[in-house]
Amino acid sequence: MEHLELFFKAIFVDNMVFATFLGMCSYLAVSKKVSTAVGLGAAVIFVMAITVPLNWLLDQYILKDGALVWLGEEYAAYDLSFLSFIMFIATIATMVQLVEIIVEKFSPSLYNSLGIFLPLIAVNCAILGGSLFMQSREIETLGLAFNYGISSGIGWFLAILAIAAIREKIRYSNVPAPLRGLGITFIITGLMAIGFMSFGGMLTGGDEEEATEQTVVKVEEVENATDVAINEKEIIE
Amino acid sequence: MGLKEKLHNIKEKGQGKKWLPAFSAFHTFLYTPNETTHSGGHVRAADDLKRTMNTVVLALIPCLIFGMFNTGFQHYEAIGEPVDFLSWEALSLGLIKILPLVVVSYVVGLGVEFIFAIIKGHEVEEGYLVTGMLVPLIVPVDIPLWMLAVAVIFGVVIGKEVFGGTGMNILNPALTIRAFLFFAYPTWMSGDKVWVEGAVERANEIAGGANLDAISGETILGTLAQGNEVAYSVSDMFFGFIPGSVGETSTFLILLAGLFLIFSKIGSWRIMLSSVVGALVMGLLFNGVVDAGWIKESSGFYSLMSTEFWHHLLIGGFAFGVVFMATDPVTASQTNKGKWIYGFLIGFISILIRVFNPAYPEGVMLAILLMNVFAPTIDHYVVQGNVKRRLKRLKAKTV
Repeated sequence: MEHLELFFKAIFVDNMVFATFLGMCSYLAVSKKVSTAVGLGAAVIFVMAITVPLNWLLDQYILKDGALVWLGEEYAAYDLSFLSFIMFIATIATMVQLVEIIVEKFSPSLYNSLGIFLPLIAVNCAILGGSLFMQSREIETLGLAFNYGISSGIGWFLAILAIAAIREKIRYSNVPAPLRGLGITFIITGLMAIGFMSFGGMLTGGDEEEATEQTVVKVEEVENATDVAINEKEIIE
Repeated sequence: MGLKEKLHNIKEKGQGKKWLPAFSAFHTFLYTPNETTHSGGHVRAADDLKRTMNTVVLALIPCLIFGMFNTGFQHYEAIGEPVDFLSWEALSLGLIKILPLVVVSYVVGLGVEFIFAIIKGHEVEEGYLVTGMLVPLIVPVDIPLWMLAVAVIFGVVIGKEVFGGTGMNILNPALTIRAFLFFAYPTWMSGDKVWVEGAVERANEIAGGANLDAISGETILGTLAQGNEVAYSVSDMFFGFIPGSVGETSTFLILLAGLFLIFSKIGSWRIMLSSVVGALVMGLLFNGVVDAGWIKESSGFYSLMSTEFWHHLLIGGFAFGVVFMATDPVTASQTNKGKWIYGFLIGFISILIRVFNPAYPEGVMLAILLMNVFAPTIDHYVVQGNVKRRLKRLKAKTV
């Protein structure tokens, strides 16, 4: 259930493109044709599925406040989280190199059509964003981190797939000259985001949902938790 | 010399003038144009775009008239002086409230269309005929007219004209307009105060110290979302004597309009049928969850989940959205297989949003917009699938 919720949430509710507007550069640039968009989307899913759990491990055992305690008691005071940007980017860059080598070997045509954007995945903000969200949302287990990586990737994949299909459809539309190309793409993205707002706010007030999972024995505990959650919500508001 | 010839002469004189597109829009609205195409393929058909649009408008008229009666009826019901449904009091109040909505929608929308036609130097397109009628039917009756005007300008310019006009848009313009209103002015578009005429003013007066009873005109979905008992019977829901947006309440009239559209072959029966199936499947799933006892009665989702699955078709704007918006030939899937998928997902997602999204009591609008976004993707894969199958067949033949 936890996995399912995270999966749904990362794809639709917190969609990388339409909720946080990350990864826009390659999203706008490589979305002219569906086939290339699919290729890039798949590459992003792959890279995210590997980098997010890897970075989770880094975060848990090296970077987090007190994460180094497994080396010995005297390291418990170290907090290396100021290094997360560098460490995360290094992991991502390495993984992207790997993907590049694999794609070049197995699908030269995709490699050519992706062109410069394949190495640029390394600086695709959606991918770094995935790792940083993983850190800030305090995802608890390696499995969840893996899930989060894959599902954020799928969310991005769906976004680029949809816009590529739309751009193929409007290729012969009589778009006013100043708006042709990127201009209209920005407008489409905005309109698509309206469509994706249908999921906005879903699963965020998850009190009741959690309550449904609990067994009867834990009801009281859950009620307390709900109260706390409601209080927190009020405080935030 | 008859009017027809006079108009024709004016048109001859006006060749190349700026105002010609605006003029010929009126001209062709009155008479069939007296020209034929000069090049390209010729298709002889009795219905052109304008006739198609007019058929939909025709199907919408009963909903509009019912909406007028219902506006008055709900108002007098809410202030505690009930009148007969088919009474002059009810109708006159409805006329006063709803005619301005229709006029503003058409004047502003067609104004924008005319301006664009003159700038771009092409004929005025007919696309706004239906949108202009849909818009007043899907907004709450008390919406201020200037908001409607702003939203119509947004919807027509950003939703349609920037893509090159009628037939090129990605999202349904009427729903774009409604979504704009919904996100820009949420206090006027949702809640329990906006669905009955005069309820907002009444609430303000009470807040100002006036000694009045508050009007509560909650929609059924709003009531259910809060876990309260619904005060309306199933036949009320079906015939539409319930609060809601102007034209969406009467499932009965919408059903008739849907049949009319299907028989005149203007609305796609595939989309309508599959949307209904999608909604029923989702409703059944939720009922199943309730029956299996997987959800506690205290849960906020319980009352919507336990709503009988077929009630979902009667309440809210589901029927209206499915019949008039989902079937929009421009933004729906173009392929037959695609239409099944597209419709099914609309029904499925709208019930999902209804039940699970606490932010929006009604999900049809956003479900249709979301599927508009994905319709080209669905089409792409259906077409690719056909291409692949044919290639395979060809290969088998040549071998």
